[in-house]
Amino acid sequence: MTVQNAWRDDFPALRREIDGQPISYLDNAATTLKPRPVIQAITEYYETNGANIHRGKHRLSEEASDAYEASRMVIARYIGAAANEVVLLRNTSEALNLVASGLGLRPDAYIVGALDAHHSQILPWRRVGRVDLTRVDAHGRLDRDHFRMLLRRRPQVVTLTHCSNVTGVVHPVEELISEVRAACDATVVLDSAQFLPHQRINVHALDVDFMAFSMHKMLGPTGVGCLFGRSELLAKLRPLSVGGGTVDWVDVDGSVDRRIPFRFEAGTPAIASVIGSAAAIRYLESLDDSERHRHADELRAALVGGAVTRPRVQLIGPPNENGRIALVSLRLENGVPAGEVARILSDSYGFMVRSGHMCAQPLVAELADGEILRIAAYLYNDAAEVEGFYQALDELLSWMAPEVVLGANR
Amino acid sequence: MIDSSNFEAVQEEITYAFENTVFFREHMQANRLRPEDIKAPEDLQRIPPTSKAHYRRNFPAGVLAKGYTLNSRDVMRFQSSGTSGDRLNSAILSYDLARRQATGLGVNRRFDELWRPGGRPRICRFAPPNCSDVECATGVSSLEDRTLPDGTLVLTVAHDLLATPEWQIVKALDEIEIYQPDLLVVDPTHFAFLVRCTRRLGRKITSPRKLHIVCGYTLMTRVARRQIEEFMGQEVPIGDMIGMSELGYLGFECHHGRRHINNIDFHVEFIRGGRSVEEGQLGELYVTTIDDCLVPRIRYATGDYFTPLGSSCECGSELPVVRIEGRATHMIQLRDGRIVTPGRVDSVIGDAPWLDLYQLEQSRTGTCTFRYIPNAKAQAREAAALEARLADALAPNEVRLEAVDYISCERSGKFQPCISRIPAEGA
Repeated sequence: MTVQNAWRDDFPALRREIDGQPISYLDNAATTLKPRPVIQAITEYYETNGANIHRGKHRLSEEASDAYEASRMVIARYIGAAANEVVLLRNTSEALNLVASGLGLRPDAYIVGALDAHHSQILPWRRVGRVDLTRVDAHGRLDRDHFRMLLRRRPQVVTLTHCSNVTGVVHPVEELISEVRAACDATVVLDSAQFLPHQRINVHALDVDFMAFSMHKMLGPTGVGCLFGRSELLAKLRPLSVGGGTVDWVDVDGSVDRRIPFRFEAGTPAIASVIGSAAAIRYLESLDDSERHRHADELRAALVGGAVTRPRVQLIGPPNENGRIALVSLRLENGVPAGEVARILSDSYGFMVRSGHMCAQPLVAELADGEILRIAAYLYNDAAEVEGFYQALDELLSWMAPEVVLGANR
Repeated sequence: MIDSSNFEAVQEEITYAFENTVFFREHMQANRLRPEDIKAPEDLQRIPPTSKAHYRRNFPAGVLAKGYTLNSRDVMRFQSSGTSGDRLNSAILSYDLARRQATGLGVNRRFDELWRPGGRPRICRFAPPNCSDVECATGVSSLEDRTLPDGTLVLTVAHDLLATPEWQIVKALDEIEIYQPDLLVVDPTHFAFLVRCTRRLGRKITSPRKLHIVCGYTLMTRVARRQIEEFMGQEVPIGDMIGMSELGYLGFECHHGRRHINNIDFHVEFIRGGRSVEEGQLGELYVTTIDDCLVPRIRYATGDYFTPLGSSCECGSELPVVRIEGRATHMIQLRDGRIVTPGRVDSVIGDAPWLDLYQLEQSRTGTCTFRYIPNAKAQAREAAALEARLADALAPNEVRLEAVDYISCERSGKFQPCISRIPAEGA
């Protein structure tokens, strides 16, 4: 048995069969499956506690609060931040909306973004300012000259995407942030939802101001998005929502905000999911890094190699394995509908892949001119599975070939 | 009761499927059977039934006949939402669809004038979104976007029927006026909703051509039918279609209001406990296609239950008469082991002029809740009388009535009048 298969055994959902057929989950850029320790952490909270956090003085509430805050620390430690610099929200979208709405930008604020950003890193900024998107080349790599040219216009905010959820390209954010610092005093907001599941980050070494990510894309439960913010910047950020838990004092005339990060966390949070998030990080930390990287290299090679050798598909993104995660997006020949292909790959072959515009329609329209098929692998997948996917795709596309074939005689 | 009228054609279909499809050959071989083993109508039951799961998993490579692709001429591909998530990807030859439709509609004289030589009726569809092969619920699509290759116009409707916003209703009504259809192909619950909205808006559903209405997709309740008939008037022929996305017309309602099953383009069996049932008994419909060159299906268990009632009908058609009972997954399972079919529930409720919509839901514990949306004619005594009738029909299980102003659809957009949360183990 290979090492990959040992990881696979930790994911109970992969034991499922549909119509008597095992499943192959290759939609990991949308969300990942959950290992048993994460499921157990969530279950344990509900089976042994279930109380609300922070305001209660009773024993269960105290225990739940401890577990919740300990989880925040685990998440913060994973990215090299202090616990009070990590705001626990619902998802990356909410985190980015919080920053966009909370910076207090004037309506004519100039913001530089990137064409390959997820809608969550474009739309919140369009609501609060004028946005220019940095172009990408034909392979989805940022046009650095264009980026530098936009920086010369002295933006107030620069929004970066660490890794594209369409091309899988990992951008050199350290270099990009250095360029921003050299060119202007813009606030740098990084969407790392697609990158962090694959490689650990130190936010202070990166010199980023804000960074958003989602635990569900890195083995954690759904419903937990995280915002890192440098403490002095978080202190100036205006909360998106207010209410229970965000204030220290309320009287008929006003209120006193709580300290960061609590002032951004209105209402009862997803307690069990946050506790499960810490279990996800502990699981990732328990894996052998070199083994993970070797495995990721294999997946990348299988994904890219499979795409570039097939005439019936066009790889959207770089035609090589450098500087990318184990993800490929494919444009299908002759307008074969990606949605129909994804559905048949699922129901007939057991491969769960994504189709559509990937919530990155400007980029997909630019590079593919229509819907695409995305295959995103993670640590419980293996190269043989990717090869199986391509064989299934080959077979299916042969059935959908444009040529007219006469039917069998009766 | 074994129908042997088209047995030779069935034998041919078995041989064709065996020789030309991977799945059916393996299915036969797994059961140590060859086509020549099926010598008499009784032998057919030696072939284990095939199911939607078989055709889903083996599509297209295992079930498309040798020589065809999904782009061969006259092949229509589709993805159906199925019922309660039992979805399917499949394909059908357009002329098989037309042949089965012609046989089905042939039992109803009021639909005769719809089909004229050389002409094709203009068809508008108002049905659950996932039944429509187009993304019709987005709200931004144009009439052209929603016109299928065969010319059928798909009208917009929200996934959650009762939450359909008014602009979408107005859009559907406007498009009917523009399109001027001969035929409305509708889900009866959806169309009854449209009728109520149309009445409220003071509008009409008309066409300069003679309108016909075919109802399909889900069980046509008497409540829905009453509303459609009252609004559209006696001049508009209404027919209830028995059909499945993957097979097309399996039967139709004749002009005397009885449902006939198509045993010309299909070999039909009504099975319970592995055996054919007698007339008057409930059985699951198994169909074997006749002369289907693309996706031949042998003993395809449809999951739909009927009671065969013989072949005599005053309409003159020789197609067997059936009573629609509903799907296995929708049947109410009583504590004493009996089942109550959606068809039976509907007959208990009747046309109920005092209510607009109903849904009977059985919980996992067996308790039944009857939710209904009353209308202006509703009076307490009618609800009380219905409660007594339902209590009688569903005893020993408890039933509770709830007057509500909203009932949700399933995610596919279909509205089921009768659902059970108890897993079905075959009716």
